Amino acid sequence: MKSSPNKGVLLQYWLSGALGGWGGTSDGKHKASTNAGGSVHGNSRPGAAGGGGGKVGLSGGLTQPAGWQSLLSFSILFLACLAGFSSRLFAVIRFESIIHEFDPWFNYRSTHHLTTNGFYEFLNWFDERAWYPLGRIVGGTVYPGLMVTAGLIHYVLNLLHITVHIRDVCVFLAPVFSGLTAISTFLLTRELWNQGAGLLAACFIAIVPGYISRSVAGSFDNEGIAIFALQFTYYLWVKSVKTGSVFWTIGCCLSYFYMVSAWGGYVFIINLIPLHVFVLLLMQRYSRRVYIAYSTFYIVGLVLSMQIPFVGFQPIRTSEHMAAAGVFALLQAYAFLQYLKDRLTRQEFQTLFFLGVSLAAGMVFLTVIYLTYTGLYVRLLTCYAKIHIPIIASVSEHQPTTWVSFFFDLHILVCTFPAGLWFCIKNINDERVFVALYAISAVYFAGVMVRLMLTLTPVVCMLSAVAFSSVFEHYMGDDTKREKPPEKAEEGLGPNIKSIVTMLMLMLLMMFAVHCTWVTSNAYSSPSVVLASYNHDGTRNILDDFREAYYWLRQNTDEHARVMSWWDYGYQIAGMANRTTLVDNNTWNNSHIALVGKAMSSNESAAYQIMRSLDVDYVLIIFGGVIGYSGDDINKFLWMVRIAEGEHPKDIRESDYFTPQGEFRVDKAGSPTLLNCLMYKMSYYRFGEMQVRRGALTPPGFDRTRNAEIGNKDIKFKHLEEAFTSEHWLVRIYKVKKLDNREPLDHKLRSVVPKQKYTSKKVPLMLGGEFALQVWRDSFRFS
Amino acid sequence: MASVWVKSIANLPVLSVFLLLVLCLPPGGGQKKKENLLSEKVDQMMEWSSRRSVVRMNGDKFRRFVKAPPRNYSVIVMFTALQPQRQCSVCRQANEEYQVLANSWRYSSAFSNKLFFTVVDYDEGADVFQQLNMNSAPTFMHFPAKGKPKRADTFDLQRIGFASEQLAKWIADRTDVQIRVFRPPNYSGTIALALLVSLVGGLLYLRRNNLEFIYNKTGWAMAALCVVFAMTSGQMWNHIRGPPYAHKNPQNGQVSYIHGSSQAQFVAESHIILLLNAAITMGMVLLNEAATSKGDVGKRRIICLVGLGLVVFFFSFLLSIFRSKYHGYPYSFLIK
Repeated sequence: MKSSPNKGVLLQYWLSGALGGWGGTSDGKHKASTNAGGSVHGNSRPGAAGGGGGKVGLSGGLTQPAGWQSLLSFSILFLACLAGFSSRLFAVIRFESIIHEFDPWFNYRSTHHLTTNGFYEFLNWFDERAWYPLGRIVGGTVYPGLMVTAGLIHYVLNLLHITVHIRDVCVFLAPVFSGLTAISTFLLTRELWNQGAGLLAACFIAIVPGYISRSVAGSFDNEGIAIFALQFTYYLWVKSVKTGSVFWTIGCCLSYFYMVSAWGGYVFIINLIPLHVFVLLLMQRYSRRVYIAYSTFYIVGLVLSMQIPFVGFQPIRTSEHMAAAGVFALLQAYAFLQYLKDRLTRQEFQTLFFLGVSLAAGMVFLTVIYLTYTGLYVRLLTCYAKIHIPIIASVSEHQPTTWVSFFFDLHILVCTFPAGLWFCIKNINDERVFVALYAISAVYFAGVMVRLMLTLTPVVCMLSAVAFSSVFEHYMGDDTKREKPPEKAEEGLGPNIKSIVTMLMLMLLMMFAVHCTWVTSNAYSSPSVVLASYNHDGTRNILDDFREAYYWLRQNTDEHARVMSWWDYGYQIAGMANRTTLVDNNTWNNSHIALVGKAMSSNESAAYQIMRSLDVDYVLIIFGGVIGYSGDDINKFLWMVRIAEGEHPKDIRESDYFTPQGEFRVDKAGSPTLLNCLMYKMSYYRFGEMQVRRGALTPPGFDRTRNAEIGNKDIKFKHLEEAFTSEHWLVRIYKVKKLDNREPLDHKLRSVVPKQKYTSKKVPLMLGGEFALQVWRDSFRFS
Repeated sequence: MASVWVKSIANLPVLSVFLLLVLCLPPGGGQKKKENLLSEKVDQMMEWSSRRSVVRMNGDKFRRFVKAPPRNYSVIVMFTALQPQRQCSVCRQANEEYQVLANSWRYSSAFSNKLFFTVVDYDEGADVFQQLNMNSAPTFMHFPAKGKPKRADTFDLQRIGFASEQLAKWIADRTDVQIRVFRPPNYSGTIALALLVSLVGGLLYLRRNNLEFIYNKTGWAMAALCVVFAMTSGQMWNHIRGPPYAHKNPQNGQVSYIHGSSQAQFVAESHIILLLNAAITMGMVLLNEAATSKGDVGKRRIICLVGLGLVVFFFSFLLSIFRSKYHGYPYSFLIK
């Protein structure tokens, strides 16, 4: 009850205040006597029970059921956070505190830049080490929320003289935020259903693999904090719709602002909330509360979201945000009509209404025509329209979702959450309309793209919690201890059936917990920067080739050396080796990537032309043939060819890289174009002499990834030389030779009197060393 | 010697005409006859293709107009088997795309006698198939105006697919004729939508006195669950990827409904999963019904047990299917 501020104990006060109204229903495991009705409605409105918490001390607080409930739910919530935090630490314990994968390395690098150079320097940061020679404006093209959050935590800790490295802050940020996500999920579910469901939902979201996949320690990515912001925004939204107070709505806007600053998925919020309002209007559930909440949210949220440099004026320009504006206008019109209804006669009102409706219909019609004409409408409806662009299709996250992925990431929740949805729709109210819409839209998007499983996961946890909680509520209670024993005819399932149901349900939940731990441990806890392999006796080998190679680059190459690699490794090279890259995981320039792809798939001399024009000093490739690593560049090679073919169809043809039978083979039967392209040569240089230890039967040059003896063992380079190969050959680095002093001429030299007296000696003095050299070389070429 | 000459300077049309006149006058009518033959053939082809955008060929026609040498036009040939008894569904789809392409060419402003679209059906020209050593249909081939077809003149159907845009790209590549594919607008979607809207509107109008059913929560809940089940069982994946319904092993004729890998699924499989998910959800709902409804205790007990059975049994079944697909997954429940 909120009406208990005079309680003596701080804990008691905090819990009862923070956890809000006790709806008389408990977390199911501890059934309150006040819930004798045991209805499925489980509304969380303050009931008559538990309100009499008059003069109570510590003992008084704990003798009351409400006191126990508070303590219990507080500890359950705390344990959920703890479990969520600790189950995300597999990678840290197995390997070390290290940033994972690819994108996190960029985030880490920019956070590092932020903490060393300050916020304004970060906003104005032009990164000349990426996308050589174009560079990249970082400050205006990132969502800064993640970096600012980590930087702020680092700053506060240092202010308190807790000197942690920024890397550790980055590594542990996502697990900490998963705890906050659990709390906000609890709050949201409590608003939607009851406290018991809220606690179950918090437990679910703490360990569910669909969310862990994006928030293990070391995966320092936008999604890690964005899901917290998402859930918290939704909680505040539901709260503001319930109360109609501007206070909650402003809170919602601030939370939305944080979400906008953190992740591009904020578009989901700015479409879901208007949809909610729209459906409420359709259902004739319009009220002042909805009007206040949405009007405030739209205006303040719009202004706040435009403060993020990367978002800028998009909220008033792009089609993704138009639904919000439309609903805002509709709501104003509706409110105006409601207002007029009281003032006008019926006849006048009807005329006005028809006029207004036809005008509005005309407007909508014109807008739709316009949108259809510009093709935006189609893009809005079909998310997979882009599937034909190879660079988007090549990313595995952008694939549609099979049922196996659903089950893998959600286990029992995916089969039970429809039941929760069913209960919600059967007992509908304003906020349950919201959760139903959330579920339906999120499940659609998750079906279209694997990556959007992340937005589905919270709502699945909430609705599953509703389903399980209502089962436990009915089957876990102890009949004998009821104060008001109901009639025999009503309560009669008997203790045996009840305990069987409870036990089996608990068993299913236990299996869920076991599944989550297994999945987290096996599928989602690999840093992918450090690999591990297991011997027959269970001992572990750490393959640290990536870092070995990146540190080699860092120590042994010129500070301004340009490294060419496929775009997957761009962020890692920039982050770990601190060298200039040509392309990276921010795939904003397709033609630049295609140029790199073309260099990789051309023969050496053609590739040398491209590399010369791009000023490449080193080429880095990933080769897994020695240890059987399947994610290497030869396996990605067809994508390089495809992307290159998209931009240079005259020079690169995908069919040239296949055998006449249409197979992609690296052995003797492979197509000669493949066997002589740069990527093949760089991957298999000197590999033909190597006997991979895998039984004596395999011939030298046996590729373990593709299970084939390579077809071209006699590889010689003219313009490149091997610079570095890591211990397990996983990373190979080649140095691009400079042009020979003088290209051998096949004709006799012309005898031209060198005009040396006209080339002013000032030129080398005026221009710095390298550029002067370039000028000199060019003049040589033209002479 | 003369032929070598002619061949080498054929690239220079003006000169070649002149030289032809000079060089070939002594041999006499042979060349003239050839030219007549050529123009006759072009006229014939033009006449056919003005009647139908895709010219049907049998063995004789094919040899005369496509294979035989004096030609100054390129021919695209689709080898196919469209007869219903051949049961080639791919051929029919490919044929539709081919027709779209041919019509785009036929009615484009650039239409000329440089390029013709033809089709050879297996049942009309089996000898052609034998002659070209062809044992699969459909196949697209390009017969260039000069010389014999090369390897790249056979369209790579397996890899690129037979969308008419791809065909147009291939043709542009082989013949330098750019065809802008113009698809006849597909009104079926619009018509279906309009029908649906009018149906719903009509229904509402007929029942205007009793609109209670709109407020029927069960109906809405059902609709929501349908969407959810469709998505969680991967119907969207089916829609985008278009997998087969089930796989029939050609050796022993065994039909497998479950795909062996976790990366893919069959349509039948997704239907099975949909049913399993629905059964588990129904079990949960029944469990709840049994506890809350007011009725005969015995009946409620049965409902409760049925609900529990549905949840436990179908979940373990689902888990076992998952286990069979996701190799190395260690856990199972009741069913191996």
